[in-house]
Amino acid sequence: MDRAKPSLDPVVAAYLKDVDRTLLRSNLRLSPEDRIRKLQDFVRLMSRLREAGRQAER
Amino acid sequence: MRPTDFEGLLRRLLEARVDFILVGGLAATVHGSARATFDVDVVYSRSPDSIDRLVKALAPLEPYLRGAPRGLPFVFDAETVRRGLNFTLDTTLGDLDLLGEITGGGGYDDLLSDSVPLTLFGFACLCVTLPKLIELKRAAGRPKDNEVLGELQALLEERSRTDE
Repeated sequence: MDRAKPSLDPVVAAYLKDVDRTLLRSNLRLSPEDRIRKLQDFVRLMSRLREAGRQAER
Repeated sequence: MRPTDFEGLLRRLLEARVDFILVGGLAATVHGSARATFDVDVVYSRSPDSIDRLVKALAPLEPYLRGAPRGLPFVFDAETVRRGLNFTLDTTLGDLDLLGEITGGGGYDDLLSDSVPLTLFGFACLCVTLPKLIELKRAAGRPKDNEVLGELQALLEERSRTDE
């Protein structure tokens, strides 16, 4: 028997319509392991940029 | 602040055969989220054997209470883990949240039926399912999660679209 679909919170629904689905589709083509590696690359880049910003302020 | 080494932390836990379920932002990443997260959140088993393995695996990473002043008498050992429940830790491999229980999901045993086995870095790893992750985010009731929930809902739709 189908369970009734829980109704979507209007606030969440507002965000849902603006989600960039091309990014999601691109990620869904990767393996879970590669999704983690992609995140890792991004986080490392963020860290380097943050450090560069700190050094520039000195 | 050093960036969290996601693979390094997961490998530590997986190699030591710690019983845990991946939740939070990294679970969202595993399911395809494009949002950045900066820590690893896991619901860990409270079984004494698994706690022993957890402590042994993490001790070399010098776990300390994140954000707490240095010098507190915090010792990360099996007794501390047994006496406590949820720990937000800073380690030499980055930020790790050890959750004995999670709002809306309970403990490790409660969450098992809502987890999926994955192969990560050559090891079998349990990750909370996408529908349960959505449920957990809803249960947390944090306004900042509304945007995340929009993305997770879109992921659910995209996945069912490709499964059709």
